[in-house]
Amino acid sequence: MREPRTILVIEDGTEYTEAFRNLVAADAAASIELVRAADFEEARNTLADRTVDAVFLDVVFDRIAPEKLAGDWEGLIRRFGGDRRRAERHLAENQGFYLLNELASLWPERIPVVIAYDFSAEPERLAALRRRSPQLSGLADGTPISAVLESLLTKLTSGDTRGGPP
Amino acid sequence: MIGATGLVALVALSVLGAPDDCPEDAATLASAADALVARAGARPDAAALERARRLYRRARVLSPQPSFSLRAADLACAAGDEEECGDLLSEAAEMSPAALSSGDRLLLAHRAEARRAWREAISQYQALRTAAADAGLSSWAQERIRRLEVEAEAQAIPAPAAVPPPEARLVLAEARRALAAGDLSKARERIGIARRLSPGYPEAALVLAALETREGRVPEAIQAYREALSTDPARFEALVGLANLLWDEPDRSAKEEALSLTDRALAARPDAASLQKTSALRSAEWGDAPKALARIDAYRRRASPEEKRATEALRESLARRVDALLSGATPPEEPSAPELSSPAVDEWKVAQAYVRRADPASLAAALGHLREAERIDPTFAPAPELAGAVHEKRGELSLAQKAYERAIAADPTRAAAYEHLAFLLVRQPGKEADADEAWRRAEQAGSSEALFALAESAARKGRRGEALALYRRYFGESPGGVHAEEVSRSIEKLESGRRTSLGVVAVAAAALLVIGSVVGYRRFGGRTFEEWIREHPARAREARPIVGRLRHEVVKHGGLLLADAAKRLSEPDPEVRRWTAELLLSRLYESEESKRDGLIPQSYETFMRLKALARADGYRLNLEHKDPLFSPIARAGMALAPLSGGLTWLSMDPEAVPERIVRGVIGRLERAAALFRSVSGANISRVIDEASSTPVNLSDLQDVLARVCAEKRLGSPPTLEWRGPQMAVRVDRADWETIWRNLFANALDSAGAPPVSEVRLGLFSELLRDPITGAAIAQVVLADNVSTPLTAEMIRGRGADRGWGVIADLVRRHDGLADVGPAPAPGYVKGIVIEVPAVEPERPE
Repeated sequence: MREPRTILVIEDGTEYTEAFRNLVAADAAASIELVRAADFEEARNTLADRTVDAVFLDVVFDRIAPEKLAGDWEGLIRRFGGDRRRAERHLAENQGFYLLNELASLWPERIPVVIAYDFSAEPERLAALRRRSPQLSGLADGTPISAVLESLLTKLTSGDTRGGPP
Repeated sequence: MIGATGLVALVALSVLGAPDDCPEDAATLASAADALVARAGARPDAAALERARRLYRRARVLSPQPSFSLRAADLACAAGDEEECGDLLSEAAEMSPAALSSGDRLLLAHRAEARRAWREAISQYQALRTAAADAGLSSWAQERIRRLEVEAEAQAIPAPAAVPPPEARLVLAEARRALAAGDLSKARERIGIARRLSPGYPEAALVLAALETREGRVPEAIQAYREALSTDPARFEALVGLANLLWDEPDRSAKEEALSLTDRALAARPDAASLQKTSALRSAEWGDAPKALARIDAYRRRASPEEKRATEALRESLARRVDALLSGATPPEEPSAPELSSPAVDEWKVAQAYVRRADPASLAAALGHLREAERIDPTFAPAPELAGAVHEKRGELSLAQKAYERAIAADPTRAAAYEHLAFLLVRQPGKEADADEAWRRAEQAGSSEALFALAESAARKGRRGEALALYRRYFGESPGGVHAEEVSRSIEKLESGRRTSLGVVAVAAAALLVIGSVVGYRRFGGRTFEEWIREHPARAREARPIVGRLRHEVVKHGGLLLADAAKRLSEPDPEVRRWTAELLLSRLYESEESKRDGLIPQSYETFMRLKALARADGYRLNLEHKDPLFSPIARAGMALAPLSGGLTWLSMDPEAVPERIVRGVIGRLERAAALFRSVSGANISRVIDEASSTPVNLSDLQDVLARVCAEKRLGSPPTLEWRGPQMAVRVDRADWETIWRNLFANALDSAGAPPVSEVRLGLFSELLRDPITGAAIAQVVLADNVSTPLTAEMIRGRGADRGWGVIADLVRRHDGLADVGPAPAPGYVKGIVIEVPAVEPERPE
């Protein structure tokens, strides 16, 4: 039997993890191992400790402590005219992108990464992000979790995307 | 009166000795009596008078003569026996009217008046008037006659029936119920009790007539109707019922009476349409074409088009016959009317007599005679009709039905046969439709009982309007009928129901109107998000994060969750169902564990926040019903909201949840998933962008610059250089122009001394990407050749100039950046950098 593929799910809650775990078909669920990280630190530790085959990133992280939000706090506070709350809100609402920015260097470029953002109206934005994470894809509104997993598994089986700690 | 001669004779008689001794010779006896009275003198004593009266009695027996009677009357009067006096005068008048004097006539007339024998008194006064030589006496007699005629007529009018006691009415009500229920023996028993409790009770007679009719006992039914009419001669139902029965009788006199009764009934109720028709048919059959034509015309005046069509042929036929009669021509040939009598009548009468005996042998004998009657005259309908009744008594229902059908075939206009058949069919399960048909044909033949039966049938089948119309017809044609009370109650009940229904309909209509208005207001009232945001683009800055949250937390999670959850719940594994239900509960509703409101409350909250924003602008957003972008989300929420019970049950005890419930939950999940799939979050964002974005182009900014120069009275504005792509920023036009008005004004103010014409301003645009999020950023650099120092702190810091402070604040509010940078091109001293979110270009960079 083939070794399960490891998917790192980075989210401040458990919605995606549980959805992957409980809502996908039994055979698909059996072929994956889910590892959840709630913030940048946990994700970095996970990536340091083990190999992951794919990454799923949530975007909004408004349920973790502000100090756990990854990003250039000083620069953002400065950008927002010293408004720390505004900077914090910006970080929380875009944390997935900041995590992508911070963590992309910790996983191989070739592994598929899905960020829970619908780029269908912003293809150039996705293209811009792919310059740093070539295997990045978005998540169109209305996509079932099973389709997300299927897409990931398809990409995983189409080539050796396995990567380990840098 | 007694004359002097008489008195002398009486005296003489008294002298002749005992009358018993007289020979048996009338004249001698009379002479003896006269002598006896004569002997007694002017005032004979009682004994002499008595003896003389006895002598005259014997003489009258031996030889009745008016003279003896008159003499005897005189003696009776003398003896004070006015009664015998009158009798004797009457006797004399019968033998020889001329023998009586005026005084005798007067005496007889008075005696008759005293006896309330009006006809006899009138007769005496007429004789008196005829004989009277005196005109005054004749006139007086005539007046007396007129008064007595009235007395006589009044005497012929029966007194109103006494009000029956309550117990009689109660018992009769039971009889009616039993009759309606078909319990004929009980009905008969109750009718008997009612009649004993209240002799002459016309209602009881009518119910009895109905019962006898149903049992085929025609003579008894006729008798009962006659009894009812004797108490109440104008009783419509009795008139009609008796007429119907008599018309079916074979003898001519019965038919004549039936016609007369029908006329009386019509006179009482000229608006009884069916009776008009019946009368027309009977008159036509009787050969009275003019009367039949008048009746059928009266019927057709109130008939429906269909009824008119049905009687068209009859009317034409009657009209031809009347024309022929009036012109003296030979009437056209018409189908021969049935014989009014039949050679089968005798056999039928014998059968009737046997039927009255009612024992099995008699019934069998009756059937024999009826078979013979049918053989003799196959068109004689009463024979098979009575045979049907006999078969019914013997429990031979199918034979009874065949007999009634033969009766109908023999005489299709005979209502009684249809009624018998209908009653028979009603009692047999599964033959209700046949019974109804028989009732309909009976009704066409003029049966008011059929009206009642059809009304009852219609009421049972819920055809209230039809039932009401039939009840009303019955009540109109038989207001005092057997079923009158029941019909009255039914009409009241149906009308009440109708009023209630109308009330309900009115209330429902009003409610529908209100609901319709509410629905219409909810569906079509209010504004869509797009309508609002286009008119208030400045709100986009506040609306955008709310919409972003809706897209991420509701639309995205809904799509991720629901379709797959529905699939998992479709699996029979209880544990899978339990997990799925638990997951759905935490995601759809509130979840303490996830520290986040569920999808449904978040959806509701975002809707409320958007509405609150719009309300501040005086707008009512109709996101749930009118907005094509948001309504699928609302409908999905409505589909999901009722699921908490079923999901809770599934999460606790999935095996106990009926499959029907599970299927319901799955159906709603699938529906919600489909709705979420139809939502385009990108389209919602695009609407905000289109409403709130402002194109960045040279001409617009040149205009702003010109206005600033004009306000500052600086003359012609300096030439504005533009380099870079045109784009659109996610800043509403007002804010965008305010930013640039302040930028231009500050630049010109900073220029100070140099003439405006020497100030050089350039715009350098570039579409950037946020290095982290990849979001599009519009960077527009205002370059100038003004050497006045300017730093970022001067723009963004607390002590910023009012103009710079406005710029910094507006840019920040739009998540932008204001900075000071190096000159972007030769010929400029510095550049003021404005970075704000840009609208994603439609084409790749």
